[in-house]
Amino acid sequence: MKRKIRIAIPSKGRLRQPSIQALQYAGINILEEKRAYISETSDPRFEAVFARTFDVPIYVQYGAVDLGMTGHDIVLEREADVHELLDLGFRKCQLVVAVLENSTICSINDIPAVERVATEYPNLSRKYFESLRKQVEILTVRGAAELAPKLGLAQIIVDISETGETLRKNNLKVIATILDSSCRVACNKIAYRIFESEINELLDKLRRHLTK
Amino acid sequence: MTFTRLQILKGTRDYLPPEVERHRYVEHKLREIFKLWGYQEIRSPTIEFIETLSTGVGPELVDGMFKFQDFNGKIVSLRAEMTAPVARIVTTHMLSAPKPIRLFYICNVFRYSPSYFERGREFWQAGVELIGCNTPEADGEVISLLISSLRKLGLKEVRIDVGHAGLLKNLLKATGLSKEKKVNLLGLLGYRDEEQLEKFMDQNNFSSELREVFLQLSRSRRLEDVSSVSVDPSKYGKAENCLRALLEVKDILVDYGVENVVFFDFSLIRKIEYYTGIVFEASVPNLGLPLGGGGRYDNLIEKFGTVKVPATGFAMETEKCLQALSAQGFQLQEGNKIKILVTSRFRSAAVKAVSVIRDAGVTAVLDVAKRDEKETIGYAKLGEIDYVVFLGSSVNKPATIYDTRLDTATDLTLKVFLQRIGG
Repeated sequence: MKRKIRIAIPSKGRLRQPSIQALQYAGINILEEKRAYISETSDPRFEAVFARTFDVPIYVQYGAVDLGMTGHDIVLEREADVHELLDLGFRKCQLVVAVLENSTICSINDIPAVERVATEYPNLSRKYFESLRKQVEILTVRGAAELAPKLGLAQIIVDISETGETLRKNNLKVIATILDSSCRVACNKIAYRIFESEINELLDKLRRHLTK
Repeated sequence: MTFTRLQILKGTRDYLPPEVERHRYVEHKLREIFKLWGYQEIRSPTIEFIETLSTGVGPELVDGMFKFQDFNGKIVSLRAEMTAPVARIVTTHMLSAPKPIRLFYICNVFRYSPSYFERGREFWQAGVELIGCNTPEADGEVISLLISSLRKLGLKEVRIDVGHAGLLKNLLKATGLSKEKKVNLLGLLGYRDEEQLEKFMDQNNFSSELREVFLQLSRSRRLEDVSSVSVDPSKYGKAENCLRALLEVKDILVDYGVENVVFFDFSLIRKIEYYTGIVFEASVPNLGLPLGGGGRYDNLIEKFGTVKVPATGFAMETEKCLQALSAQGFQLQEGNKIKILVTSRFRSAAVKAVSVIRDAGVTAVLDVAKRDEKETIGYAKLGEIDYVVFLGSSVNKPATIYDTRLDTATDLTLKVFLQRIGG
């Protein structure tokens, strides 16, 4: 008998609720959500685990889970070698470069040499500035990068923006967009080989829900 | 964190006896099967010049090499894989040897990686190289050998996925896309999201013919599915050759009786650059990472000399094989492992006795601790010793044989005792 297919769902944050909902539409209800344990679902072929958002792509890559609901931005940031089988379309957001509204920096070209950049996305930030031949010092923070300019930690931040509301509240303006992202169904490459038919069935159900 | 002398380098580890035993099992089995298939073992230096080790492997692997300077200021590195060293060896010592040459190795390699979820920074590879032949029979042989090797270890549900480095390269070239877009396309193929792939092809004005080829290939799961993909040989001649090569290898795999576990994956790419033809990866359902893989590299060896020598091969990771075995609940068969402790007040008799037991092919240890009887039995039980032989003044006189599992003592001569335990 085949083992169960394990899906990782972000345990916190903006991806969590819509991910649970999308799975519900696809007929997978999480039966009991225990902390840090594997939860049964209404579909006996699947089980669910809740994991830290930033770790989901890594869990998927190393096969700790077979599928993971995660952001495209996070897959790229963690440089995870996974399939991204489906764009779920929700939690559309952008990874942006932002500075304080009253800053003299109005575009990427204005960024002085070796300026500090605070971000939760050190890899993507480094690659972006490298591609522009800009030398910056990346300061990795765990969340709340938007506070960095106010606190004088860094003039520049690279962060996710969904509506721009958080940035506005913190008197920040966007000077560049690095990439567009949304929620994806990531899949371990070997798991897809083994469970292709089951996974495709799930993707079809998710797709049908998306087009509604 | 302050440094202490108990620390070891990140990504390296100690292997204690039971674990070494498991590794030796894998190595022994693999050595046995590689030899049965006519491959001969070679060894190469752990440290080589960076120029050698970096030939053909691509910048990603070179970045991950442990590099330092030797006494003359030359940059040297710990080997990160074995194919480049083998290519150097073939060029220096074997160019005039009759082809094909069949070589294998089992050794440790070193790669720096930011995380060691996937593997340690020092890990063991077992691999083969079939050198001097570019026939589909050669490709078929190494794929079949990989399957047989994994099965020989006791692994079940072994599966091979095959791609083609040349096919992918030629089709990417045919798109006429910029380098950056080619990378994007490669990424999309890897994502296996057909909608996104179609969108990309529409945005980039793919010809309907090329569009269809990409879609059909990414939908193909078996090697025979490839036969329905038609590419115009006048436009994409090289790609057509690659497709034909895949089908030829499929026929050979049928002869080996393994075609049912071999699949096609258009998006399969290996992280090392030197591959030119068929590439493949082995996996089992219980492990989320491949156990090993390889492929054809027809242009690597000529980079060391001037002669073009086609070759193919694979490497598997012994640690991953062990992980997969334990995920499948495999128990290592413990064979003839009876262990006997000999103790006596008469040293020369005891020394003689252990030598008699060892000559009979049974493990014997001499009591060197000078303990009393009770302590000796206690030690034997903890030390996984099966019998304690309390010997008198001579090997020929009956000795007291204590069975540590049954807690019984019997008086027997060593000769009779050895006969009883089948030594």
